[in-house]
Amino acid sequence: MACKADLVVSDQFPTGLRVLVVDDDITCLRILEQMLRRCMYRVTTCSQATVAMNLLRERKGCFDVVLSDVHMPDMDGFKLLELVGLEMDLPVIMMSADGRTSAVMRGIRHGACDYLIKPIREEELKNIWQHVVRKKWNENKEQEHSGSLDDNDQHKRGSDDVEYDFSATEGAEELLITQKRRRDAKEENEELENDDSGTAKKPRVVWSVELHQQFVSAVNQLGIDKAVPKRILELMNVPGLTRENVASHLQKFRLYLRRLSGVAQQQGGFPNSYCGPVEQNAKAGTLGRFDIQALAASGQIPPQTLAALQAELLGQPTGSRALTGMDQPLLQASLLGTKSIPVDHGVTYGQPLMRCPSNISKQFPQTVLTVEDVHSGLGVWPSNDLGVVGASSNLGGLGAQSGNILMGMLPQHQHPCQQQQQQLKQSIVPEPSRSINVQPSCLVVASQSSASFQSGKSPASVNQNSFSKGCVIDYRHLSPQSNNSSVVAGLLSDGDVRRTSVLNGCGGPGSISPSVSSCSINADSSAGRHFSGVSPNISGVQGSYCSTSGQLLDQVPLRNLGFVGKGISIPSRFAVDEPGSPTSNLNCGKIYGERNGNKVKQEPRMDFVENVKVDIPILQNFSANDLTSVFSE
Amino acid sequence: MDVVSQLQRQFVDFTTSLYHEGFLDDQFTQLQKLQDESNPEFVAEVVSLFFEDSENLLNNLANALQQQIVDYKQVDAHVHQFKGSSSSIGAQRVKNVCAAFRNLCEGKNLDGCIRCLQQLKLEYSLVKSKLETLFRLEQQILAAGGTVPSMA
Repeated sequence: MACKADLVVSDQFPTGLRVLVVDDDITCLRILEQMLRRCMYRVTTCSQATVAMNLLRERKGCFDVVLSDVHMPDMDGFKLLELVGLEMDLPVIMMSADGRTSAVMRGIRHGACDYLIKPIREEELKNIWQHVVRKKWNENKEQEHSGSLDDNDQHKRGSDDVEYDFSATEGAEELLITQKRRRDAKEENEELENDDSGTAKKPRVVWSVELHQQFVSAVNQLGIDKAVPKRILELMNVPGLTRENVASHLQKFRLYLRRLSGVAQQQGGFPNSYCGPVEQNAKAGTLGRFDIQALAASGQIPPQTLAALQAELLGQPTGSRALTGMDQPLLQASLLGTKSIPVDHGVTYGQPLMRCPSNISKQFPQTVLTVEDVHSGLGVWPSNDLGVVGASSNLGGLGAQSGNILMGMLPQHQHPCQQQQQQLKQSIVPEPSRSINVQPSCLVVASQSSASFQSGKSPASVNQNSFSKGCVIDYRHLSPQSNNSSVVAGLLSDGDVRRTSVLNGCGGPGSISPSVSSCSINADSSAGRHFSGVSPNISGVQGSYCSTSGQLLDQVPLRNLGFVGKGISIPSRFAVDEPGSPTSNLNCGKIYGERNGNKVKQEPRMDFVENVKVDIPILQNFSANDLTSVFSE
Repeated sequence: MDVVSQLQRQFVDFTTSLYHEGFLDDQFTQLQKLQDESNPEFVAEVVSLFFEDSENLLNNLANALQQQIVDYKQVDAHVHQFKGSSSSIGAQRVKNVCAAFRNLCEGKNLDGCIRCLQQLKLEYSLVKSKLETLFRLEQQILAAGGTVPSMA
């Protein structure tokens, strides 16, 4: 398939490796850019870290590796490093003129894949691809390790159905977890998709709500840093549960948390993340309502959920009333179980995943809710919709929902969206039971869009407004095709979606190629088109999508997740940075420096990075109860 | 042709001396290697970026050191930046002064810093004029119809 999710491992690898360079020193930036070009990489430069983050968020899956300077005025390089690792899980290579061992050590501690000392030579850059490959392979290995949950193969519909019969969260959660993992891996390596389903079949452990809560409280008790499977197992004291079960669940949980924190940062607060999506959905409009109806009609939503959802939705502002007209078809479609429903609406699934108090006892499953959950009308869509649209790391459903939400959010693009949806509908070959679940991750991407992409071939160096000044996006090397495929991986990485070939930006009808993520679309459309944020054509939609999401992100006030404390410094990825301890952070920073005995210079804005050291990186605020309570509102 | 060869020889001699005297180091050669048909003005472009950047940094440094209460962290940050950019283009002597400057910042040695800043300004203006001379020579060669000798 042309739209192979895994672009990096393409024929000409490492040619075409997509690199994002962040450095406030324009001289260095220019030199690096030139060097990277000579390595045949696709370079995007950015002189501001904040702009870089926005870029990465908006175009998830559009980059393979990030090169960042350590010392930058608007954001410490290490912070950027952490954020990228959390939100996008991309390899980050640090650069600095500071070659002291302590500095390099710091880079390693923060999770940098590599640390280059300036002045950087071209030869050093030639090899950065190894970090991309290494990371992918490690993730793939991780994927393979999740034996107990491997049964939740997306391909196995039977099991999916069975799980549905449980409470909405149980099986779905399982599925989602697996799918999520799958997606993560798939995003990197498409081959894994099919491989894992067959391998490592162990007696499946169903992580029920109760079980998961036990798990979470055990983790909290131990502290996320110290939460090792063995100890968790002991604390949980569940007969029949193996350490391996716990280990794989823990892995997933960690990934989930990472997504969370990433989302939280964008959305300004995760625990309320369930609120987040709601808000977003609100903006998206009434889509949810219809979805709920549809779902209810299909008998998937328990009455209380439905009520909750409706209450939620009805009270929301009109995001995109334009979609109202879609009710009928949606409802009918859902009744008929037609797959096209989701497509048409594009927002079907995002919305329904509103609060479902009854079902939102587990935060984990909630977050992980994907298509399956949508089906049951349960599941709160983890906020990320906009912020992390197309985040590859997101569950497939998430991706889809993001797309959905987006659709809702862009009323002005109704037509093009609908158009796309129509086309998608036709091109979708979803399985019956999944009809409603099918969520084009990127509704925005219609098969038609591939055409538009094609037209967007004229790469141009565009200074993307949506990204803001200081960020020069060089699309010179972007090509619609490659972008699509690569982006697909990034954005969708949803086996589910893929299989249903919902978003086949590149392929023809019924093709099950990885959907093209809106990222690529944006890139392409931006590059080739008039990236004006709002344009009536498909590419325009994507473009607007991009910009919109970006804008929305900005608009979402940063709420303190608690889980992700201020400064969004997550040392061990789960650290909770208490908001009220700025001084401690500072002190920590200094202490760190002094401890080194090297009189490490405290660069500005280094303190928060030091949180890693001192803050108690335990998910203190992150407890099952907390999140649960959010839903019980 | 005589004019061209003469200019070219001048160019080569001058460049060699720059390396010998430590004004430039291998990194500058790297830059020249990066210049190609698709980026024919690369070196000139980067060097002018460097000039701009440097002038800002020097101003910032001067301001920072003139404060009532000197923020050495800030000063160090500037110096660090300067060090990075000068090393990137191969301005070796400037880079060395920056390294010395950082130590003075650590020691919060105000006098030392001020003196170092002077030295930095001096080195910077030296390398700047050297590079400008170099570019002028290049232009002259090209204007005379010759090609610029590759020093790589």
